[in-house]
Amino acid sequence: MLKLTQTEFLKLRRRKFILLMLLAALLMPFLAIFYFRDIRETGIDTIQFYKWTAFSYTPWIILPVVLGVFSTMLMYDEHQNDMLKQLWIVPISKTKYFFSKFIVVLSYSICFMLLTAGLSVIFGTLPGYITFEWSSFCYLLKKCMEIAILTAFAIMPLLAVAAAGKSYIFPVCVTLVYTFLGFILLMVNMYLHPLSSMSAIVMRDIPGVVLAQTLNIPAALICITIWCAGSVVLAIFALGKRK
Amino acid sequence: MKQLLWAERRKLRHSKIVWIAVFAVVMIAVIVFAEGQFVFKGSRYIDGAGWFMTAAQSLATFFVLPAVIALLGSYMICREEQEDTLKSLRLVPVDEAKLTVVKMIVAMVFSILIYLLLFVITFAVEAIMHFGTLSIQTVWGFLFTYFINGIGVFLAISPIVALVARIKKGYWLALVFTEIYSFAGLFASMSETLKTVYPITAVFQLSGYYEATIGNKAASLVILIVCMVLAVLILNGLSRKNKKSIY
Repeated sequence: MLKLTQTEFLKLRRRKFILLMLLAALLMPFLAIFYFRDIRETGIDTIQFYKWTAFSYTPWIILPVVLGVFSTMLMYDEHQNDMLKQLWIVPISKTKYFFSKFIVVLSYSICFMLLTAGLSVIFGTLPGYITFEWSSFCYLLKKCMEIAILTAFAIMPLLAVAAAGKSYIFPVCVTLVYTFLGFILLMVNMYLHPLSSMSAIVMRDIPGVVLAQTLNIPAALICITIWCAGSVVLAIFALGKRK
Repeated sequence: MKQLLWAERRKLRHSKIVWIAVFAVVMIAVIVFAEGQFVFKGSRYIDGAGWFMTAAQSLATFFVLPAVIALLGSYMICREEQEDTLKSLRLVPVDEAKLTVVKMIVAMVFSILIYLLLFVITFAVEAIMHFGTLSIQTVWGFLFTYFINGIGVFLAISPIVALVARIKKGYWLALVFTEIYSFAGLFASMSETLKTVYPITAVFQLSGYYEATIGNKAASLVILIVCMVLAVLILNGLSRKNKKSIY
């Protein structure tokens, strides 16, 4: 399994685009400069600033879309280059293959959120909007790690859809719809969709957040677990059917 | 040109992408309908006549449809390279720049049709729920808004699709960039100036989704024309690049 994961990471070196996608982490910290410009005089709460740059639209929209496209890329390039046949000949376990891809997605998610955290601090302290404090920085890091890990699990269905298909069109469209659904369900029912469940867990201790429903962390975890289990079954079944 | 258009239409008939786009539009309608169940001040959003048609167009434009349209446009351009049919087309010979223009036209028609499909779905639901309260004027107003949105969104994303024609394998980049580009429109709509000059929100200014003065509408139209000119310039560069590579 470790070797397989290592191989997956080695394969990434050839894909320059993956590094370019990390630039998406810039969006919310950059927009924060304009958003907080007018309220600068009245004083900006550090956590409020981080809430805008890292805990809001980044886990709701940006990170899921980036991870969905990344998952599709990981799977599609191997279908396109007809590498799967060679991998099955080695032979490689389909479950291990799927999980090695998942570990890559998880690592990418962590890198993305660490970058978001770093950029949030830079874009907050350089214009003088916030002052650097270790306690709030540790809180930011803790939350970013939570978001990174939970989002990687929440987008496992997208990885499974990408594994099940040969094209990139369908998984990409599913990524867009899935992310949009997760965002909308956050206001309707948080315990139906893994992304909204992830948001519910993340928001549990963020000051000033009002949720549409009462917080139920076990229900959110169960929702994510059910979707992940279903995804693993779908992916293994789809990969098993492929020759 | 006519033959190329015919060929592109035939090629799309064999592709699943149209059905995938239809699936995306239906799902958007379902998701926005689900949002309409949210209760605010004692009544559901969906109970307000016209809410569904209003909310669907903005949410679809900020979150999903521009990326789907860019995906189709870039797919049509990149498939020739991926499926190795570009060589055969060059042998015919087919002018590659003309071919790209035709693909852009098909993408624009597709964009309009996708918005009209969303209109049909939302209108059907509104008609079932609030038939008595919907006037013909309101429906025509929405139809016009959706139609302009279809054209406008295509114009707003046309430089990205044209760029994909230059960087043949750039469809991933196009997709992520378009999604962020359309999503950023959500924040651009917070400022009166940005609302007019940011291409995605300029579409809404022009279509009448946002209340705007004639001056603002004219400025938004200019922005969208600039986007189109930019796309044409990129495609023109592509044409010159191809001629250089031939001679």
